[in-house]
Amino acid sequence: MTEQEVIELIDSSLAEEFELEREAMTPEANIYEDLGLDSLDTVDMVIVLEGAFKFKIREEEAVRGIRTLGDIHRFVLSKMEQQS
Amino acid sequence: MAGSYHRSLSATAIFALQVVLMNLWVYPALLLWTLIGILIFPFLFGVGLVFLRQPADRLMRWFVWIYGRGWLLLMSPFVRFRREGMERVRIDRPCVFVVNHFSFFDTYCMALLPQYDIVFAVRSWPFQLFWYSAFMRLARYLDVEGSSWEETLSNSRSVFAGGGTVLFFPEGHRSRTGEIQRFYSGGFKVAIDAGVELIPLCIDGTDKLLPPGRKLFYPCTVTLRALEPVTTGNYRDVNGHIRLRKQVKELMSAELVAMREGQKQ
Repeated sequence: MTEQEVIELIDSSLAEEFELEREAMTPEANIYEDLGLDSLDTVDMVIVLEGAFKFKIREEEAVRGIRTLGDIHRFVLSKMEQQS
Repeated sequence: MAGSYHRSLSATAIFALQVVLMNLWVYPALLLWTLIGILIFPFLFGVGLVFLRQPADRLMRWFVWIYGRGWLLLMSPFVRFRREGMERVRIDRPCVFVVNHFSFFDTYCMALLPQYDIVFAVRSWPFQLFWYSAFMRLARYLDVEGSSWEETLSNSRSVFAGGGTVLFFPEGHRSRTGEIQRFYSGGFKVAIDAGVELIPLCIDGTDKLLPPGRKLFYPCTVTLRALEPVTTGNYRDVNGHIRLRKQVKELMSAELVAMREGQKQ
């Protein structure tokens, strides 16, 4: 999977799960303030990413530091790099 | 012209008087009923545990339902409550209820359901209401914000195993626009995981009774309508909960429009 394909899969999975507008999904978008997610969504976000990429991240401390969509992209890309 | 102006003025004056009377009655009455509940229910709960031999959590849910009925009774001089489609709610069958959310008062309107064995899935903050929290914990309400997803699933399964139901407000917050907002997936995943039916409920009128941000109750009609139960067996694939969520949201949005159209006629 190329980096662009990973980013596309992240964005499409999150858009589907949270009914997000794709235009608003820029890497700089704050997932809480700009995309309207909240603490309940964080749990679902982890489940969505685990389902899409077949890894376990719910225990990872770094998940708590995620603020922007770009943070999610970087987090998933580094996780995939660790796995490969 | 002048006649119509006077009629409209007197209708406004009558409505204002009703609002004043309603709030002079409702606030003290609800406060008193809550105080009575806090003082009497623990005693009755103890008696019930000894004589009725019901599980403690189910007994507490019965008391909560009775408490809700009390609220409806106290409001009834000023609010007309209508229940529709309640034959679709089978009290002998576990299910997940999902209901739209307009007002703080929606929770109490769930006492309109024929089923008393209802576990509410709520966020963390209601557990901090000290006058309710002990009752909520005894009734084993689900703190979906403060628990892990695995805990929510496992607690829901044990509710269903005991013959109970779980109720979600899938919007998570009260709507401030009168329209149904985005749905969270939790309730849909719980229903699919347990393989129980999902019963959508539409509530209308509480946005006029007490919307977010207003302190005064207004007289109105509140309708709670149960829609056809949805079986969840066909939604067990990876994105099944999204399909189910979308389908139920469409059903509820359309039903809410129909209910409002019906009220206009």
